[in-house]
Amino acid sequence: MILTDTGESRVNGYLFVLERSLKTFLPPDVVRHAVREIDSHLRERIASADASPDERAALEKILAELGPPLRVAQAYSAERTIDEAIATGRFVAIARALFHLAVSTVSGFFVGLGLLTGYMIGVAFLILAVLKPIFPANVGLHTVAGWPVSFGATFPAPAEPVRGGYSIIPLCITLGLVALVVTHRCARKFLAWWRLRRLS
Amino acid sequence: MSHETWQEQLRRGTLDLAILLTVSAGPRYGLAIIQHLEEFTDLVVTEGTIYPILGRLTREGLLEAKWVEGEAPHPRKYYKLTRAGAKRLADMKAEWRSFVAKIERLTDAAEQES
Repeated sequence: MILTDTGESRVNGYLFVLERSLKTFLPPDVVRHAVREIDSHLRERIASADASPDERAALEKILAELGPPLRVAQAYSAERTIDEAIATGRFVAIARALFHLAVSTVSGFFVGLGLLTGYMIGVAFLILAVLKPIFPANVGLHTVAGWPVSFGATFPAPAEPVRGGYSIIPLCITLGLVALVVTHRCARKFLAWWRLRRLS
Repeated sequence: MSHETWQEQLRRGTLDLAILLTVSAGPRYGLAIIQHLEEFTDLVVTEGTIYPILGRLTREGLLEAKWVEGEAPHPRKYYKLTRAGAKRLADMKAEWRSFVAKIERLTDAAEQES
């Protein structure tokens, strides 16, 4: 069938939504190839379809068989981002895959929240190690009446002098790196498990 | 696990094998792969989700993709099996036949006992 302007607009609208959805998760060159492939699929289906008695119904059937653009985009990003994250282990790739799962699955949301907390704890310890030489009176173990109440940085400086001295710097660096490495390994294990579950 | 979930897992688990089998006879473009799968199986539920799997199999080096222009009014992306893909397919076929034979034996035994 040869599309009318209305039909052409409907196809372009589908591809536009697909492209916008893909851009959320995937690099531009991957998006371009994906949209081109889906466009080719649609043109092939349309060319072999019969427009009678109703072009609109025929076109909607083709689009329904292809699937909603958001679902197609999710399938692309799931295949792409998770594979890349597991294969490379790069922080950006893992963060992108976790974000994808967090916005598309309930379990992904809660696991992502937990992993984000782990990363934040690691980064917080490293920030404390950096702040200690700059604000020695503010960073350390805070006490009230001799009892430890918190560990971190307080502004302005607390009434009682902070404890721990400069020895907290190597401690914070160690704890920060351990938290980051453990969280990162957990993230990779979770993604590998999720991929296995998806394929099984 | 519901029957539908089990069916879905079975479908997903065999889709890679089905796609590799489809292109094993020669290069095919996306829609031709889907039509071939639809002809022999009911594995394709949503056509659009086949393309990401083709992309993953290509990234894994099991398939090789190439755009061909001029053959139709629109370009077609052809997929063909690589050497690594052919080896993986041979392994998967052997594993599949062994798996099916075991389940058949188990089914026969269960039916004889009942």
